[in-house]
Amino acid sequence: MSEQSLLQIRDLSASVDDLQILHDINLEIKAGETHVLMGPNGAGKSTLGYTLMGNPHYNVTKGTILFDGQDLTNESADKRAKAGMFLSFQNPLEVPGISLGSFIRNAYHEQTGKPVKLLQYKKQLSEAMDLLTMDGEYADRDLNVGFSGGEKKKAEILQMLMLNPKLAILDETDSGLDVDAVRTVSKGIQEYQKKKDGALLIITHSTKILESLHVDYTHVLVKGHIVTTGDGSLVDEINEHGFEKYIRCEGCDGCNPIN
Amino acid sequence: MNSVLKVNHLPALTYRFLKSNDSEIEIKDFNVKVVNTPEPENIPSAVTFKNDVTEKDITELFADINEKIASKRIGLPGPNGDTSLLNESQTVKTGMGAEIDNLMKEMNVPVSLITAEEGYKVEEPVVISYALNDGDYVLGNQVIHAKKNSEITVIMEYDSEAESNGFLGVQTRLLAEEGAKINLVKVQMLGEKITHFEDIGGVCDTDADIETINMQLGAGKTWGGCRVTLLGDSSVFNNHTGYLCRHKQSYDMNYVADQMGKKTQSNMVFRGVLLDEAEKTFRGTLDFKSGSAGSVGDEQEDTLLLSPDVINRTVPVILCEEEDVDGRHGASIGQLGDDTLFYMESRGIDEETAKKLMIRARMESIARMIPDEALIIRIQQFIRTIL
Amino acid sequence: MSDNNKSVVDIDRSVYDIKDVENEQDFYRMEDGFTEDIVRKISEEKHDPDWMREFRLKSLEIYNKLEMPDWGPDTDELDMNLISSYVRSKSDMKGKWEDVPEDIKNTFERLGIPEAERESLAGVGAQYDSELVYHNVKDEVAAQGVIYTDMESALTGEYADMVHEYFMKLVPPTDHKYAALHGAVWSGGSFVYVPKGVKVDIPLQSYFRLNAAGAGQFEHTLIIVDEGADLHFIEGCSAPKYNVANLHAGCVELFVKKNARLRYSTIENWSKNMYNLNTKRALVEEGARMEWVSGSFGSHTSYLYPMTILKGDHSAMEYTGITFAGKGQNLDTGAKVVHQGEYTSSLISTKSISKSGGIGTYRSSVIINKEAKHAKTSVSCDSLMLDSISRADTIPGMDIRTNDADVGHEAKIGRISDEAVFYLMSRGLSEEDARAMIVSGFANPVSKELPLEYAVEMNNLIKLEMSGG
Repeated sequence: MSEQSLLQIRDLSASVDDLQILHDINLEIKAGETHVLMGPNGAGKSTLGYTLMGNPHYNVTKGTILFDGQDLTNESADKRAKAGMFLSFQNPLEVPGISLGSFIRNAYHEQTGKPVKLLQYKKQLSEAMDLLTMDGEYADRDLNVGFSGGEKKKAEILQMLMLNPKLAILDETDSGLDVDAVRTVSKGIQEYQKKKDGALLIITHSTKILESLHVDYTHVLVKGHIVTTGDGSLVDEINEHGFEKYIRCEGCDGCNPIN
Repeated sequence: MNSVLKVNHLPALTYRFLKSNDSEIEIKDFNVKVVNTPEPENIPSAVTFKNDVTEKDITELFADINEKIASKRIGLPGPNGDTSLLNESQTVKTGMGAEIDNLMKEMNVPVSLITAEEGYKVEEPVVISYALNDGDYVLGNQVIHAKKNSEITVIMEYDSEAESNGFLGVQTRLLAEEGAKINLVKVQMLGEKITHFEDIGGVCDTDADIETINMQLGAGKTWGGCRVTLLGDSSVFNNHTGYLCRHKQSYDMNYVADQMGKKTQSNMVFRGVLLDEAEKTFRGTLDFKSGSAGSVGDEQEDTLLLSPDVINRTVPVILCEEEDVDGRHGASIGQLGDDTLFYMESRGIDEETAKKLMIRARMESIARMIPDEALIIRIQQFIRTIL
Repeated sequence: MSDNNKSVVDIDRSVYDIKDVENEQDFYRMEDGFTEDIVRKISEEKHDPDWMREFRLKSLEIYNKLEMPDWGPDTDELDMNLISSYVRSKSDMKGKWEDVPEDIKNTFERLGIPEAERESLAGVGAQYDSELVYHNVKDEVAAQGVIYTDMESALTGEYADMVHEYFMKLVPPTDHKYAALHGAVWSGGSFVYVPKGVKVDIPLQSYFRLNAAGAGQFEHTLIIVDEGADLHFIEGCSAPKYNVANLHAGCVELFVKKNARLRYSTIENWSKNMYNLNTKRALVEEGARMEWVSGSFGSHTSYLYPMTILKGDHSAMEYTGITFAGKGQNLDTGAKVVHQGEYTSSLISTKSISKSGGIGTYRSSVIINKEAKHAKTSVSCDSLMLDSISRADTIPGMDIRTNDADVGHEAKIGRISDEAVFYLMSRGLSEEDARAMIVSGFANPVSKELPLEYAVEMNNLIKLEMSGG
């Protein structure tokens, strides 16, 4: 395998409550690359995101997750985050009593171990919030408490920009957003691609968010298997034809996808 | 003086094995040194502070409102296991009950009367600070009287050195006349060798409003009672309590919203954290009396348990003899949820730090309602020190 | 009594009120009160083994020492000196319905008991005052090795040792005053044993009828569901209304062994002069499941809190209950659960309705011991006030001794919303029907847990309560 490989997933199988969801997933992401993971509902897309980030509800039954040269398969989520992995949640946590700004500062401090330079931090934060068209007052509001769906998604992207991970996994970040919000979130993602040379794994079942993004690879996940991988043009194809041709026959677990 | 005080009676008794029907304060070698309320740091205009009021004056002060309360009683049978008769003698019904009145009388504790003049909304808070020295046994008694359409904020702060021994017992009674509002803030940051009680009782007339904030962060053993009678129509009682118990600290609470008037509102929030071998008993009662049509009441309890050795008792009571009311109670008790922890960890925050962060968040969410920036910072520092 | 021509509606309460006063000379009635002499007489009458006689006398001693609890409904008007501990028909227990004395048979037939047996039950026991008058199990159920018999036969028969081993071990006479009284004067009730792995597909039922004025009923129910077995047991109670107090101090002990399941359903409709001071308790072993479905409609005064001890790891309980307190009633009901094993779970969901001056109290306790790691409990209690002369109180208690527990609690109290009534009236319902429909809807989570015939009975009782008072 290549030296520059950032994330290497080898033969990964995972289960939830003894139900096998992911089967022998192989995937490689290099620094700065943008990968898209598509698939119909229930294919296991979010499971892959959670498994990569180390959600304790999801059990790895087989395979390894290598990230930046380390085997993270059995590490806790905070270790993965410190290694440079980030997951944007579909339903982020609400915490009364901690402001968004102070939460990011805490996380930043934990990840870098360095004291936060307050002025510089504030400047960065306000720039990032401007980019995401977030009112500066949100930094002082309790983390996600009373945020609308769109504001929660923006707050996740804000954290991504501030924490500056090596790989960001965006789990359905575009779902439930109106056109303007998708555009704004998309701008945030572009900024991350551009400035930070960050790698991305974008989990989505729609293609709205991808319109203005450069995509290197597209993977299609069906019933827990990656059934095909292509370049950015695969997104357009799926946009036009849907997933039908990739849907595997019922009850068959080993055969190749009908291609 | 040696005796045992029975306090914090559950308004309606339940199974004895739950050991929650009341609590006992054992008083041993009790040499009370200080009984006068410390002079406030400031006395805003339209506020008066009198330090030498007798219990007889207080009885007179509350005479009119007590007459109104008596006239509203209609002699329906109370709940099964009714304990109201135990506190019948009180001038103002308090959360801890009559034995605190008796103690105050026996120890000749004078009452300090803080009065807000009619029609004045006093923005500047009256700040009373108790600073306990090692070996101090202190009892205090205050009455806050907000005359018609006035508003007053009183902040009481209890501090000591971490290693000090002693006892601090305070009773504060509140009278909010028509359209008046009383904001009472109590912040307790005593050393862990100190025994403490905090007894509050209040009455709201028509359109009056009592708001209490309680931060219980220190002391070894703490009893806290608070009972507000919503006598007048459209009167309001809001309470926010935050507590942090660790080591072998204990906190025994009894909160009652007595809803008598029409369209009254009560809202009580309790957020706490138990660590190590801490023990907590929570009693919270919404009592919808006959005639309280259109009233609403809500109690929410949220307790974070962070050690396998804690003891958590919870008795949330709703009593109701009125059809047209809406009362609810919710409790959520347990450790940090997996989802919470995973979210925190996904941002690089490990379990220990996540716990501390959540403890601080809980306390902060209550503390930030206090209208005193400097005090909020002291609370934050206190929490940081003990964590 | 009862002139049947008077009422026309299908919800005629009078069926419960049939009394057989004219035939009381056919009954043996113990003198009133509770003395050592009386206890000895009962023991003799029932041909107790020695240990049981000693047990009764010891229990009486405990009864005399214990006090009434200070937390529950008032029982001052219950004069124990005026209660007869033992009343029985001069006929023996029958295994055939035809052999049951005509008057008793009539009573049960009007209550629909034999009909229910034919249609939907695996076995039936019928107790009339202090003794069972009828007991029968379907052949195919008996062939599976299921034992369903009256307690007296069990005490001396093949299962005597088992009865001795389990009798009042779960509810010892020291538990409370009326458990002690029960130990002293118990009579009647059922013994059920379901062998390992046997699943009884259709329910067994016991029906309790207290007919004599001023009498006490003290039946003992002992059910052992062995490993991997499955049983649904239904209990129904009724009594005619008298002007003097009647007392019911039964005791139900349920043993649910490893991986077994027991559902225990009760529709209690004692008459409104009854003091119902009943004790029910279940011990649930590893992986086993206890389900309670409980409807409390009758009685003057009730103390009723079925208790579940979740002893084994992964054991679970579910309690679904409804209480309807109408005029003159003080019904103090709820549930208790103790979590001992790891990964135990409890789910308590209750509805309570107060009307026409009735007092309804929901009372519960949830205890999670230190050892009960990963325990999960959820309590939800809803009360509905139908007027402003009634009371609805909610007094739940929790004692949690481990952090590794997930505890949720919700209580609500409220009324029927005017909008809901208006909506239904706009669709053509009368106000009374609209309110009754809303109350039935409120009770629906309970009625849907009951077999159809019982759900119908419960709905009828609700309609009856809604239109009366």
